[in-house]
Amino acid sequence: MINTKELEKRWYKYKAKNFILIFALILIFILLPYGIYYLYDYFDTPSPKQEVSKLITPQEVVVESSTPMVTEATTAEPEVEESKDNEVILAPTIPIVDLDKEQRTTQAKKVVHRKQAEEKKLVKAKPSSSLTAQELAVINGNDLKREKQKISFQRSSSNYMDVMKTKFEQNKNPREALLLAKAYYKAGDYINAEEWALKANSLDKNMDESWFVFAKAKSQTWKT
Amino acid sequence: MKSKYSEIKNIFIDSVDSNNYVDLESLSFNYQVLEESLDKPLKMILLFGRPGTGKSMTLNKLYVNHKDKREIHYFDAPILSEKEFLKSIYEAMSSQHIPQNMRVNFDGLLKYCQNLKGQREVIFLLDECQLYSEALMEKIRLLSDTRVVKFVITLHKTENEDVIAKEHFKTRIWEVIELKNADEEELEVYIQKKLVQRGFVEVSNALSSRDIKFIHNCTKGNFRETNKLLYTIFNIYEYYDLHRPEKITSNKNSKKILEMAAIKIGYIHD
Repeated sequence: MINTKELEKRWYKYKAKNFILIFALILIFILLPYGIYYLYDYFDTPSPKQEVSKLITPQEVVVESSTPMVTEATTAEPEVEESKDNEVILAPTIPIVDLDKEQRTTQAKKVVHRKQAEEKKLVKAKPSSSLTAQELAVINGNDLKREKQKISFQRSSSNYMDVMKTKFEQNKNPREALLLAKAYYKAGDYINAEEWALKANSLDKNMDESWFVFAKAKSQTWKT
Repeated sequence: MKSKYSEIKNIFIDSVDSNNYVDLESLSFNYQVLEESLDKPLKMILLFGRPGTGKSMTLNKLYVNHKDKREIHYFDAPILSEKEFLKSIYEAMSSQHIPQNMRVNFDGLLKYCQNLKGQREVIFLLDECQLYSEALMEKIRLLSDTRVVKFVITLHKTENEDVIAKEHFKTRIWEVIELKNADEEELEVYIQKKLVQRGFVEVSNALSSRDIKFIHNCTKGNFRETNKLLYTIFNIYEYYDLHRPEKITSNKNSKKILEMAAIKIGYIHD
């Protein structure tokens, strides 16, 4: 006969194992959505560390320096002097930017850059045979006379008129007629301007602008 | 004091006895094909399938059903020695006893068979043929070529032998009958028939379809495995019936006992 007691023990062990497995599976199914939600939330919103690192830009970190450039800048702007100790001032975690402060710092920077540029200009190069006459002129501050080139822009108004006319013929839009009237007026063709202003008005009686263009063109034709 | 379960468990003791043969749809179909092929002018008939699919039982049933009608001989255990095999064949055919110090010459046996052509047809049922050597199988084939001797052989089919078996017999003109494991429905019929045949209707009714599913999952429908599992189940029942009868009910099978039996055999692991 079978040793049932021993077998029963094994059966209880098997059942316990099964129970743990099922329990673990249920637990996983329950916790999985929470886990996914937590991970999504974690990766979606930036951490405070990330925010700080984003906000520490070179402009916002003001370090007291012994170089004359910065001292000059700080003397020009008394508020910059507030940060005299060698501490790094971090921007607050709340992304509020002090526009006045930002403007002041940029102005200070500009002063520094201007100073640097002036200092650069003061540096004189040793006479060298390897430099071209043009380069030497730049160093000495005597720019060579260059030929001025004229760039001429040409506009073909007649092409514009043609395009507008075909457009108007296609859709009979009073706006197109008004535009043509304006264009003719600008070009000094007052008769055509009158004609197109009347066309625009005949299509849309409420278009006040067409009357205005017509009146202006009419006054011009009387003058002439 | 004796439990009814000791009798029930004995139903499932694995034995090749035609009285224990359970007539299932697939098995009876295969048996019919086998019977029909005996009448055909085929030299050899191959019955193959995985262990425990009912090959030996089918062969045994064939022998029992035909031993009075035909000249049929059943070798239930393989005779591995060629000398002994030829001697057994000759003895079965001639009804003569060959002394121990004598042997049968194969050419002589072949000539003996050829002389009987048209007069007799002897059928040999050989079980477990996978154990025969290639040379002996070749001699069996030559004997069957005389058309006096007809062989019905059974062969185990394992995972690796599957292709080999098919390839090996494809080239020969043999009738091949493959026996397969039972499906869930067939297994239920098998268990119920086994129990009802012995008058345990109540026990048969207590087996739910869920129990059958569990048994099928464990045994994959293999008859031998099923017998083994059911024997263990009723063995455990016997213990409870004798020592802790309050733990069992007669109208419903205990899942716990089923699982305990499966643990005992190793189908499930604790």
